[in-house]
Amino acid sequence: MRGHRDLRIVATLTLACALLAPLLPVEWLSLLFALPLAFFLPGYALVAATFARRPIERPQLLLLSLGLSLCVLALGALLLNYVPGGIGPVPWAVLLALVVLNGCRVAALRRPSARARSSAAAKPRPRLSKTAAGLLAGALLCTTAALVLSFTTTSAQHAEGFTALWLLPPTPRDAPKGGARIGVNSEEQKPVSYRLQVRVGDRPGEIVRRFSLDPGETRVLKLRAPASASGKAVAVRALLFRGEKTGNAYRRVSGWLAEPSS
Amino acid sequence: MSHSRFGPGHLPAIALASGAGLLLCAVANTLARSTEGYPMGLYWLGVLLIAAPIFYRLTATAATPTERLALVCLLGLALFGVKVLRDAPLFTFSDELVHAFNANQLGSHHHLFEANSILKATPYYPGLEGATSSLMSITGLSSYAAGMIVVGFARLTLVGALYLLFLRVGGSARVAGLAAAIYTCNFNFLFWGAQYSYESLALPLLVVIMMALAEREAVRREALRAWAVPVVVAITAVLVTHHLTSYATAGILLALALAYWYVKRSWQPPNPWRFAIFAAVLAAAWLLIVASSTIGYLSPVLSGAVKAIFHTLSGEAPPRQLFQKGNPAVGATPLAARAVAVLAIAVLLAGLPFGLREVWRRHRKQPFALLFALAALAFFATLALRLAPAAWETGNRAGEFLFIGLAFVLAYAALAAMRRWSSRPRLTRTLLAAAISLALIGDAISGWPWDAQLARPLKVSASGKTIVSPPLAMAEWAARDVSGGHFAAPTADANLLLVPGDKWVVAGPHPDVEDILEDPQLGDWQLPLLRRHKLRYVVSDRRPASSDGLRGYYFSTSGSTEGRLPRGVTAKFEAVPGAARVYSNGSITVFDLKGRP
Repeated sequence: MRGHRDLRIVATLTLACALLAPLLPVEWLSLLFALPLAFFLPGYALVAATFARRPIERPQLLLLSLGLSLCVLALGALLLNYVPGGIGPVPWAVLLALVVLNGCRVAALRRPSARARSSAAAKPRPRLSKTAAGLLAGALLCTTAALVLSFTTTSAQHAEGFTALWLLPPTPRDAPKGGARIGVNSEEQKPVSYRLQVRVGDRPGEIVRRFSLDPGETRVLKLRAPASASGKAVAVRALLFRGEKTGNAYRRVSGWLAEPSS
Repeated sequence: MSHSRFGPGHLPAIALASGAGLLLCAVANTLARSTEGYPMGLYWLGVLLIAAPIFYRLTATAATPTERLALVCLLGLALFGVKVLRDAPLFTFSDELVHAFNANQLGSHHHLFEANSILKATPYYPGLEGATSSLMSITGLSSYAAGMIVVGFARLTLVGALYLLFLRVGGSARVAGLAAAIYTCNFNFLFWGAQYSYESLALPLLVVIMMALAEREAVRREALRAWAVPVVVAITAVLVTHHLTSYATAGILLALALAYWYVKRSWQPPNPWRFAIFAAVLAAAWLLIVASSTIGYLSPVLSGAVKAIFHTLSGEAPPRQLFQKGNPAVGATPLAARAVAVLAIAVLLAGLPFGLREVWRRHRKQPFALLFALAALAFFATLALRLAPAAWETGNRAGEFLFIGLAFVLAYAALAAMRRWSSRPRLTRTLLAAAISLALIGDAISGWPWDAQLARPLKVSASGKTIVSPPLAMAEWAARDVSGGHFAAPTADANLLLVPGDKWVVAGPHPDVEDILEDPQLGDWQLPLLRRHKLRYVVSDRRPASSDGLRGYYFSTSGSTEGRLPRGVTAKFEAVPGAARVYSNGSITVFDLKGRP
């Protein structure tokens, strides 16, 4: 690629991006390298290879670089689907790097080097005054503030909070012991006190738990299966009351205890 | 056409206005999300602040082609920002959750074509999810973040390609800038077209194809082959991305080939008939070999549209009511907003004859221009489809494609106006910018429900912690605590059970879980249907909004008059032998039909 400065830059940048983007553990840093690798460089290399003999104007070049990069991404997954290992970080990085490097190589072979030098020299450089730079910085600041505001979870006084009660078989880890899990999940606006009453089969009495939950908090009660279940399904019924209220339960669930696996 | 002059012109000042506009939109959305009102005035002011200065500057003769391109790109991205600000940080449009599920499946299985229980055709058009997977897998981003970035780049490509297309066809940077800006006034630009859905990627690629063909038309014979490369690559990418756009691509290329023949009486290149055949053959082959389920998905929509048109015309069915009521907490579209929406259509219609006259006068020997003129006329014909209940969606979709032609024609109407009143250029430009702004806002009101323009509470901060809405809480519970299992759920709950629930879930009329979940009686066909489809968990939701894929995700607000479905829709499942009532959060109850061990 001697004599083709743009192709050399593109190839070097691609190798750096393809190596660093999948390796960096911080998402935004990885994104910094992934964005040009995914959305610009493949298209640029394809355009460079296709229009090596007859260069196109810069706006068309930039637009096609974007558009063809999107095409490479849309079609690339189809190709990777049939590659051993399928669609993953390394196959993607390798595929995109291969597209760019091959594109650059074809472009370098087809492109007359003298033209490359002359076109590189003809490029005008953008100039920004201090005022313009300040205005653009202001625009960036406003946009960032808008995004931060939108991604921030705010309070909503009129949103109606609620509590969820659930009853499920034990987790796979506890499945051999049998039993059930009863969960209370508060999505209330304020801390709330509860009374949970659980009746298991025809056992005498009820299991009663009193507790308080903060907004977003969950309490899980594990129930053990009775030792003498003897193949008969044991019914469970759980009632949830707010505070010490009686009468109609606030929430209720019902089901059966899972038997211990022998 | 020279692009040698480079300077920012008024771009920095206008970018600042756009940034301020976005900030206003963010404040309006935050207030709405906080249930502190529904500040539509503030929101529309933000949109105006983004768009009006750009419209005004694009009418100027002084702006350079580079500045115009930059302004058009700024407009496209800033209006996309309006959508992002509404939803962050979760997808909340029905189709978005379907595609996000596909992208997540791709991330976890590393292969394409994993089934989607809600929209069965979508996995067979994996272009969007494939593109998203590149960012997800390389960076570890969520499907939301990666998806929004992909759509953002697609929006940038769309407006940039439109500008270059119009520049090549019209030969004027002023017309190109105005036409690309006017395109943002189409009904779907602000929200529907900006969602994370396959058409949001396919449409920009279609415009890239059109742009490349327009460029190809202008080059010498020996350069024709080079321009065929981007056309073929983009046709193939559209094919794997979206069914309707791939058919539209074939149709547009065919129409263009006929227009070439009409104008030049020649089938020789640059007549694009070979590309039309290539696109049609590929689309048919993909449909028949890979994505045959698309036939079952599209045919009811299209046949329903045709039937609805006949029924409405014959008077057998009443016409569809425009500006339908949505969320009672927000209320119906106000009269002033309806007036703006109607006025916007009137503005578009008023410009049509003048634009057509100019296009005919200047470009009647240009196939692209003829196609644009026909599309502009067809756009107004599709408006009638909005009055037929089952046909409005077809008309709405077609409008997005046809508006490309209308934008080109209307840009010439604007040019004619500026020439006609050249003695008072500032006033004329101000009035034109105002008219385009009116069209943008009016069509945004027509294209998206009034009560869904702003954000609503989905995740809320309470005592320093985060709480989530009832359907989202249920979906998160299913994701965290329920392993496997197939669900039957109303549309909104089902979408959330896809993402973040990661469940196999069925909704809607095929199979008919919709009627099962809304019927207060347990009909004798209902349990056999659920069992036949192995639907173990049934989500019974008494919120009327639960069947609404746009409004059913949020918190109820105090004082809301939305009501409840009859108690029987939930109570009937208590009587099912062996069924367990496994989850209850007030409005939503989940039953496990195989609860008994």
